[in-house]
Amino acid sequence: MNLRIIGALISKDFSLFFRNRFFALMTPVGLIAYLVMYFMMPSSVNESLRLGLYAPATLPAFGQIQEEGLEIEAVGSEEALREAVTEGKYVAGVAIPADIMERLTQGQKPQINVYFASDTPGELKDAVGLVVRELAYAQIGQPLAIEVSEKILGRDMLGMQIPPRDRLRPLLVVLLIMLETLGLATLISEEVERRTIQALLVTPMTVKDLFAAKGTVGVILAFGQAALFMAIVGGIGRQPLIVLAVLMLGAVLVTGIGFLMASLAKDMMSVMAWGVVAFVILLIPSVSVLFPGTTTGWVKAIPSYYLVDTIHRAANFGSGWGDVWPNLAMLMGFGLVIVWIGIMALRRRFR
Amino acid sequence: MSLRRVGVLLGKEFVQGPKNFIFIWALVAPIVISLVVSLVFGTLFSEKARLGVVAEGGSQLVAIARGLPSVTTREYSTVSEMKQAVESGVVDIGIVLPLDFDSSVRQGEKTEVTAYIWGESLAKSRTILGVTIANLARELAGQKAPVEIKSITLGDEVSIPWNDRLLPFIVLMAVFLGGLFLPATSLINEKGKKTLQALVVTPTTMGDVFLAKGLLGLILSLFMGIMVLILNQAFGAEPTLLLLVLVLGATMAAEFGLVLGALIKDFTTLFSTFKLGGILLWAPALVYLFPQIPEWVGKVFPTYYLIQPIVEISQRGGGWPEIATNVLILVGLDLLLVGVVMLVLKRTKQHAV
Repeated sequence: MNLRIIGALISKDFSLFFRNRFFALMTPVGLIAYLVMYFMMPSSVNESLRLGLYAPATLPAFGQIQEEGLEIEAVGSEEALREAVTEGKYVAGVAIPADIMERLTQGQKPQINVYFASDTPGELKDAVGLVVRELAYAQIGQPLAIEVSEKILGRDMLGMQIPPRDRLRPLLVVLLIMLETLGLATLISEEVERRTIQALLVTPMTVKDLFAAKGTVGVILAFGQAALFMAIVGGIGRQPLIVLAVLMLGAVLVTGIGFLMASLAKDMMSVMAWGVVAFVILLIPSVSVLFPGTTTGWVKAIPSYYLVDTIHRAANFGSGWGDVWPNLAMLMGFGLVIVWIGIMALRRRFR
Repeated sequence: MSLRRVGVLLGKEFVQGPKNFIFIWALVAPIVISLVVSLVFGTLFSEKARLGVVAEGGSQLVAIARGLPSVTTREYSTVSEMKQAVESGVVDIGIVLPLDFDSSVRQGEKTEVTAYIWGESLAKSRTILGVTIANLARELAGQKAPVEIKSITLGDEVSIPWNDRLLPFIVLMAVFLGGLFLPATSLINEKGKKTLQALVVTPTTMGDVFLAKGLLGLILSLFMGIMVLILNQAFGAEPTLLLLVLVLGATMAAEFGLVLGALIKDFTTLFSTFKLGGILLWAPALVYLFPQIPEWVGKVFPTYYLIQPIVEISQRGGGWPEIATNVLILVGLDLLLVGVVMLVLKRTKQHAV
């Protein structure tokens, strides 16, 4: 392999890539768009039901139940309670009548007013109703002969939930690296169509040099953007080496896919057509991170699963090498096989 | 202009179309985006707690729970199946009701319930499900609620769900993706392959070619507009008026497509132009996405006059009086664009000859 030739090819490919107005524009615009999308998503998870309580009478049960997931804050007047609910300070405002204890002891059914903001979803109104009713049961001491034994499955994330935007990170990374692959595939397919590759191969450049150069361009484009994105969104703060390693392996994988697309496509339009197919397939594993429980075991047959899962675990849970090495090994295996298939397919097309 | 020749050209476009990526993309993308929006805003941002139940001996609790609007209930036949669902986050809490659960609860006998909790479930979901289970058991035991709860909604602002806010964007995408791109890419393709020049040396005129390509965009655009409205359950009210507005919108999309196709040389320039100029098309959707933006901002953009009548009819129950002015403006814009198309047609004729 001749490093000088490879260097020259890489520099030529970068120049051609950025000469294509579509990809030259899409590269920065895509990155900015994904960053905007990320920063527009909620950065925290509101774990608690925050209720305002106006209670002229003393209700011990309402104070005792203040535990995980439920915050009850006392408010001075019913008017202040209504104002606070309208301003969105509380999910709901509970106003207890002054004579509630008397009426409860007399066996009457007092009315409790629960205030909601106009945009409160119906299911939340119903849920708050259930909470208030249960508090009332607790207040009158009506027993329930049920003993619940709790078992937490998986790591208990109470108080340290993953915000939606961090769940979105793996999906955005896959989108970013795939977008760059479209550029690489277009470059190669256009060279094949214009027969410039055949022209190159009659020079001292070897087929190995050619693939080394194209592969390097693909990996740099995909890895560079994904790493920059992860750095900006704070995705490499917890396990930088693992995240960078998995992005590198992901870049190798999509470069292989780029080779495959280039072997099938004739121009930018057909690259995009094949690209959509690849996009859809590779994005499926991200769905399992965004919407836990929506996919089953079959998703592990998709190579990007190992990329998505590793990013999710390393960036969001801080998982170490010991936890993620099987994923890295699988991703490397898939990447090498796909690159090899891609090279074989392209070589056939050169002939 | 010959209608027969236009028909032949249109038939050719429909036969060749499915082989074209843009044709497929224009059909698939709006449907996929519509489904993704439903999934994202129906699931990702839904804070509804999810309960899983295994009732070993059968229990009425499951049926009562299913009727509750505050939680989503799923029943499982085995404990291992439910544990798997909890581990993967399908449900927040899964409970195992022992044999004779119902009779034990009714008789006030002490009974044990095992609850499996998903580690990533929110604290409020755990609280809601906890009180839900207790309330269900009390209902089963025949206990009467000691208080009456009166829900009072403050303010008269109507909350607009995100699914509804995004409808204008999805409709615009459905109408403009095919309506604009098909005529544009088809013209660019013919120019690139020099088949346009070949066509005009036959009795076919440039006007026939433009009309056929415009009709292709219009038909596909109209079809996708109707599909997306049906998928979003927004086609029920005033279908005739909606159809009229969609026809006018599809005409606008096809006219834009013809103008771009006639003026632009290659696909990359078309995509780049669309990336930069697309904001002019999508901007009115932002007004509906963020109600804080004053409505007059939307009126600056031509697609507002397509979207306003659709939103008025499908989401606000409006009729002809509420949309008449904007529909007439839309007709005016379409006629104006016809003039622009005629100008570029003339220019294309000169270049082709």
